[in-house]
Order: sequence, then C-alpha cells, then structure tokens
Amino acid sequence: MTAIVTLLIDSYRLLKARVLFWITLGISGLVGLVYLSIGFNDSGMTLFFGLIPLEHSELRRGSELAELFYIGIFTKFIVPLWITWIAIILGLISTASIFPDFMTEGSIELSLSKPVHRLKVFLTKYVGSLLFMFIQVGLFTVLVFLALRWRVGTWNPSVLWMVPLSVLVFSYLYAVVVLVNVMTRSTLAGILFALLIWFMSFVMNFVEGNLYTYAFTDAGKDDPEMQEMLKPWYRGSRLAYTVIPKTKQTTEFGDRMIKVKGKQGFSTEDFTGIIFGGMIQEGGLEGVDQVMRRNSGFYVIGSSLLFEGALVAIAAGIFCRRDF
Amino acid sequence: MEPPVLDLRHVRKIYKGRVEALRGIALEVPKGSVFGLLGPNGAGKSTLVKILTTVIRPTKCEGTMLGHPVGHKPTLRRIGYLPENARFPGYLSGRQVVEYSAGLAGIPSRRARPRVDELLELVGMKDWAQRKVRTYSKGMKQRVGLAQALVNDPELLFLDEPTDGVDPEGRREIRIIIDEMRSEGRTIFVNTHLLSELEQVADRVAILSKGEVVRAGDLMELTKARQEFEIVVASEIGEELAAALREKGATTEARTVLSRGANPEVVQPLIDLLRARGAIIQSIQPKRMSLEELFLEAVEEARAENRP
Repeated sequence: MTAIVTLLIDSYRLLKARVLFWITLGISGLVGLVYLSIGFNDSGMTLFFGLIPLEHSELRRGSELAELFYIGIFTKFIVPLWITWIAIILGLISTASIFPDFMTEGSIELSLSKPVHRLKVFLTKYVGSLLFMFIQVGLFTVLVFLALRWRVGTWNPSVLWMVPLSVLVFSYLYAVVVLVNVMTRSTLAGILFALLIWFMSFVMNFVEGNLYTYAFTDAGKDDPEMQEMLKPWYRGSRLAYTVIPKTKQTTEFGDRMIKVKGKQGFSTEDFTGIIFGGMIQEGGLEGVDQVMRRNSGFYVIGSSLLFEGALVAIAAGIFCRRDF
Repeated sequence: MEPPVLDLRHVRKIYKGRVEALRGIALEVPKGSVFGLLGPNGAGKSTLVKILTTVIRPTKCEGTMLGHPVGHKPTLRRIGYLPENARFPGYLSGRQVVEYSAGLAGIPSRRARPRVDELLELVGMKDWAQRKVRTYSKGMKQRVGLAQALVNDPELLFLDEPTDGVDPEGRREIRIIIDEMRSEGRTIFVNTHLLSELEQVADRVAILSKGEVVRAGDLMELTKARQEFEIVVASEIGEELAAALREKGATTEARTVLSRGANPEVVQPLIDLLRARGAIIQSIQPKRMSLEELFLEAVEEARAENRP
C-alpha cells in the first residue's frame, strides 16, 4: 500500500510540475467564472455579474426554466466544448510523456528494483496519470455545483456525474497513448494514435447515429422502403462501432444521469425550446433525444471499457516482460 | 562459515537478435565484503546487476541472492541500488527522491523521515535537499542516488559506477561511506571502470570480458600472484649486464631491474650479480601488480584466446 501511495503522490507531483496543468486549470477557472457570472433577476437574465442585463419573459429569477437553462449551458456547451474536447487534448499532451520518461534508462531501474510487482507499478502509474483529468474536471464541476446553488437555488449533485464520465472518456484515449508509448517509447506517436482513434470514434458515432436516425426514428418514416434498406447497414455499423471507444456517447450519457426539476435525464428538446422559443415545433427534437439514448449505458460504457481494458492489458503485458 | 550473499551459477542473457550479453557467469560474493566487478564497456557488468535487481529477465540463472532465488521480489527489500547514469525526475527535490525510494521499498513516510535526514547529511546534501534535482550537478545527483540506495538499510548494496561525475573530494567521501557500510557488515557490489578507486576499497574482484568471468578472487591474492621485485641501481645498466640479468629471468629498463615472483629468494642471484659487477644498489622493494595491470592483462588474455 505504501508503494501505491508513493507512486500516486509522485504522479500528482509530476502533474503539478507541468505548465499545461496550470494553464488548463487557469482556463477552467476562467470558464467557471464566466459561468458563475450568469445570473437571473426579476426581468430576465444577466451576464458578467449583472453588467449586461437581458430581458426574457421565461428566464427569470425563480422560474422553472432558469434551472434547465443553467444546467443546459453546462451540459450542452461547456462539457462538449471545453471538458471533453479542449481539456482532453491538453490532458493528452500533458500526460503523453509520462510513460516514455518513466521508461528511460537510469530512471526505470529506480522503480523496478524495488519489492513491488511490475504490474502494480504499471497500473498505479496509469491510474496516477488519470489524475490530470480528475483534478481538472473535479474542481470545475464542484464550481458548477456551487454555481447552481447560488444562481438557481438548487443543490444538484447529479452534475457531479460529469467527473467520472469525463475521466472515463480521457482514459479510453489515454489507454491508446500508453500502449503506443510502451511499444515505441514515443510521446508523439502516442498522441497521434490517440487522436486517430478519437477521430474514428467520432466518425463511427456519426455514421451509426445517422443510420439509426433514418432507420428507426420519425426522420425516415416517410420512406419505409429506405428504412428497411438501412436496417442491415445500421446493424453492420453498430458491430464496427462496438469495438471502438464511444467518447461522444459516454459524454452524452451525462445528460441521461442529470436530474432536472426532479426528473432524470436532460432533454435537448426542452433546452433548445428555451433558447429558440417558438421557432421549433413541439416534439420537433424528440428524435435528437431518442438518438442520443439509442444505446444503453451498459453498452456504451461497457464496450468502451472493454476496449480500454484490452489495450491496457496488452501494454501491461509488454511492460512486465520487457528488459529495460 | 556464513553462506555467501550472492552465489551465482550459469547466469546467461541472450537479448533479442541473439546478442549474448552474459555467457554463464558464476560468482560468489561473501557477506560483509566489498566486491568489485570490472570489465570493458559492453562486457555485461550492468546487465548482470540489472538481472540481480529484476530490471532485466535472465535467459538462465541459477543460484541465490541473500538466500533466495534471484528474481524473488521480497528479497529486494534488503537490497539497495544506484543505477548507472541514474536519472531522477527533475520535478522532485533531493529529499523527495530519497522519500520516493523509501516509499517504493515499503517504508512508511513517518519511519523514513529520520533516515532520510540522516542519509542526506551523510552524503553532504542536507543543505540542498529542498532544491529540485534539475538544478543539481552530476556529482550532486550521484550523492542523492547513493542516499536513495541506502534508505532501506540494505544488507546488499549495488553501486553501478558510483563515482561517475563526482569530483575527487566526493569520490573520497564515497569511499569512506563504502568503508563504513562494510564495517557495519553490509556487502557492497561495485561496478566501475575507475580501477584506482576500486583498488582502495575492494576485497574481492571479478573481471568480465565479453560476458564471461576471466578472473575472480581475493584482490590481494590476485595481485600477489603477479608480485615483482624492483631493484633500482645508481647508474644506467650497461648492455652486457642487462644480458646477464635477462639470462636469470629479469627484465631491465634504464636503472631498474624487475624480477617476477612473490618469493624473495628469486631476487638473491640478481643482487649477487649486480654487486659482482660493481653496481650500487639504491633500493629493493617488492612490487604488487596494480589492479589496472591485472585488469589489462586479463582482458588482453581473454581477447587473445578468442582470436582465431
């Protein structure tokens, strides 16, 4: 246990020593501050701590929609743009050199010559690297949690789901980095392969999602023949999609876990309805929510974890058998 | 008699690509000794130490280390190791490096703290302990490396090129530390190419060449076996006298006569001859072969044997 704690403390020290860690934390703080600056009064909402007032008939202090809107900014803008996009890229760049540095001659001997099994060293180092994302998202989400209480008056612990989910998304990609690191000892190759897998995941999610949309939702109901034709294509795409990590859907799973107005699940339709008012017909975005929920959480996270587990197992196997 | 700390037989290592780094090493290291492993670059010295510290997996290895088979992880609790060209993370301070080593050895931080202080003082790094390692000179890194190797109070200490990059004063201090360790009953296994350093502390040595032990034994015995007597005369030795001396098995150079052998009897006929020819003898002294000479001779012999 002492060895595990030592390795984790070392990981924390290593992350603290990275400039990108502080840059990311600084940007997170800034984004959090901007989020916190959004408030509501009797005539509508305000930006930058009341500097810019925006009149709105529905979004007012104490209105039911205010909470939905406030959470929506977090789940629909901040999470997909900042946390699971830019912060992850910065995280990958920041942590991609951890294993190559650790495996350098003259450095690795210090750890492997100790009475700790190599597998334990490897796994602890791996988990320690995930601290980057955990600390970043953890601090940010706690800020959001407090902001919700301050701005809309509710304690909503369900937003904290974003912490494990974001760390999960990061870990899928970090597993790719580590496997490539262990095989090639190259930092750059690790980042490039992780970005490639991420891109493939994005493309596969797009293809599988769209095939589902036209094969199974109202979007394709006008052409039943086409729907029937697309179904086998969908099944094929889903099979391929199963073996790669589902980064976007894991993030979107957060929407399902968040509780708004006592109801589980954040509705894109409701949120978009607030923003665009009467511009969107009632029920017009039901399909969007349906597509987001097309795969079970067990499938999305389970299959992604299997992917991650397989990669980590191969990397661990190489690490444990290698002569350094 | 106490069993040896290291008792190795048939240690072989073949790397991928069929490079044979070790070709059946057999070694015995007695408890409480300073053991020096010598060899030219690429002889397999570091490979052997890495096998013993589980950094490298042997192709074959029989024998024991501290009474357990080589590779037995819990035994590593009782050993210390300073690798060659040790690289400590630049983001850690010297103190944190030693604490890290203690933690991995399973020593809780509360227990490690006084030991860390004591060791940093011992290696002369107490005043620099809070500074980041990236600001250290090579010699300072070696000192911290020595401290981290000692943090678990090891019975067996592996030092791979411990004086690399260390200034003369630091080398002397490291020698003193090694002496102290020995007097405390620890066994020190030193890999080095600084033969003069090793000669001052080692009890036993082994010379590796191309993955094989070509000489091994007690340092005094090995150098004594090649003992010489050196006779220095007042004036240059003439050709005629030199030829007569050569007939009696001696070699000459300017005013010096060298006679091989540990027994003083061998030198008596040479003294008689010199005196009979009127040479004035200034000094006669037994001269041991230096470790460097022993090393060069052993390596050269090994090379000659391998030549087609």
